[in-house]
Amino acid sequence: MAAIEVVELVKVYPGGTRAVDGVSFTVDEGEVFGFLGPNGAGKTTTIRILATLLRATSGHARVVGLDVAAAAGRVRGRIGFAMQTVATDALATGRESLELAGRLYRVPGGELTRRVDALLELMGLTEVAGKYVGTYSGGMRRRLDLASALVHRPAVLFLDEPTEGLDPQSRSALWGELRRIRSEGTTLFLTTHYMEEADELCDRISIIDRGRIVVSGTPGDLKRAVGADTVELRLVTDLGDGVVRAQDEVARRLSTFEPLRRLERTPTGVRLALVDAGSSIPELFRRLDGDGVTIRGLAMSEPTLADVFLRHTGREIRSEAADGTIELGWWG
Amino acid sequence: MTAVAWLGHDAFHLGRRSVRRFYRVPANPVSVVLYPLIQLLVFSQLYQDITQLPGFGGESYLAYLAPGQVAFVVFFAVSWSGSNLLYDYRNGFLDKLRITPISRYSILAGEFVPLFLECVAMAGAILAVSVLLGAPIATGVPGAIGIMLLGGAFGVAWSGTSFVPALLTRNEQATSTLSILFFPIAFMSTAFVPTTLMPEWLQVVNAWNPISHVIEAMRSLMTVGFEPAVIGRAVMAIVLVGLILHSVTLWAFRRLTD
Repeated sequence: MAAIEVVELVKVYPGGTRAVDGVSFTVDEGEVFGFLGPNGAGKTTTIRILATLLRATSGHARVVGLDVAAAAGRVRGRIGFAMQTVATDALATGRESLELAGRLYRVPGGELTRRVDALLELMGLTEVAGKYVGTYSGGMRRRLDLASALVHRPAVLFLDEPTEGLDPQSRSALWGELRRIRSEGTTLFLTTHYMEEADELCDRISIIDRGRIVVSGTPGDLKRAVGADTVELRLVTDLGDGVVRAQDEVARRLSTFEPLRRLERTPTGVRLALVDAGSSIPELFRRLDGDGVTIRGLAMSEPTLADVFLRHTGREIRSEAADGTIELGWWG
Repeated sequence: MTAVAWLGHDAFHLGRRSVRRFYRVPANPVSVVLYPLIQLLVFSQLYQDITQLPGFGGESYLAYLAPGQVAFVVFFAVSWSGSNLLYDYRNGFLDKLRITPISRYSILAGEFVPLFLECVAMAGAILAVSVLLGAPIATGVPGAIGIMLLGGAFGVAWSGTSFVPALLTRNEQATSTLSILFFPIAFMSTAFVPTTLMPEWLQVVNAWNPISHVIEAMRSLMTVGFEPAVIGRAVMAIVLVGLILHSVTLWAFRRLTD
């Protein structure tokens, strides 16, 4: 049974904004599924529909085999949701926060104490469990929020931009915790606009842009489909006419080099798009060997999910749209 | 457990959270009780001879004034209650509650329970100060408890005046401003003077002013004794106000959470 099944989901907000426009996908049990896209692409709307917080305009979605609209109450007992905005109670202690979450998820008293202790330990919050959450750092609050989403041992955990606003160290620590949660069999559905995060954590991803899924697959397959690796050469020339002459010389010598897909000039050399760079580099060096071209430095990189996004949407993921609203004080 | 039992269970735990949130900021209880206390202390001295006028029955003005100040305490406690819910809505905590298996009505009930307790406790503080200053309670401890319970029940009923603006506008400033609009109703009540000293039109208004009925019941317990008819009118006023305001509150809450 699929943990999540979404068919032709559409959400049109009052005012006509079509935030989700015919999205379909499935997530298998125990899988880590990433939903990637820039802000305003429809990620949060989709995850809020799956978490029963929003109703879809059309289409249907099932989580753990239950329809999210018709059986919302039963779905809620089986899912956890760590939201983009960490909603913690500043005037409660960490332990009180987890105990409240457990009570509301109907975890029995004795069992709740054991789970709270275990989660505090797992998230590295045992020592600060008795302190007010208002005194916690951003990373600690994020971990506490995650712990409260896990207190009832959900079958599916939704994470909306789970590392937004965290420093690299906290982000890395959270990734470790998510891997541990996944190893216990929990299905993870995460939205993110951090490509490296999806690459690091996800078994499969879908890229969403302007409410539509533009491509799906494993990170490896998607990157391989982009094609070429990137090899950047820093050049020094003894021809006397600077880097331009060296670039011309490289272009001439590689004009019949079969693995080459693209050659771009950079201020200090050239950037080459090569198919299977690992095995074609020796031949590359043989061709560039000799008077007229000196290679001072080399950097090689494989395609990233950012390249995948660029290829399928025609723009970089940094592009953002303002999608917030402000309450101006009347019948909004 | 039945759905009703779960509702009580969830409201209890959410209510505990609200109580904690209220008392862990010491300024909260102080701010609620301070203004009515100042009114009680200053007005009871300033207008102590007003009871010589016909209509007062010659009792001490402090004893006359105390029930009105209990009503004011309730007003202050209620005025910020909607903002709490709004704060939870703004910071995402309300969404967090909505994805738990609880009934959404337990979220509202979780606000009412602590509000009741706050109003009861604050009413008790006003009565304690009044007694210390020399105003006896004619019905003794049972009467004092009755006054406090009336204050608590009226607080829950009247809280719609804060919840409805909060839920409809979803804006803190608008909520505060609209809540304050209800204060003139308290000033037009019998909190300070009896209806016999009011202009005729205000007497008509007070016949329908639920606050006056609640204050009169409290005053009866404070200065006269147990008068079932007066207390009955107050209970009816509380029930009626509660039904009207909470119907609108529920509608607005459903609108927010759907």
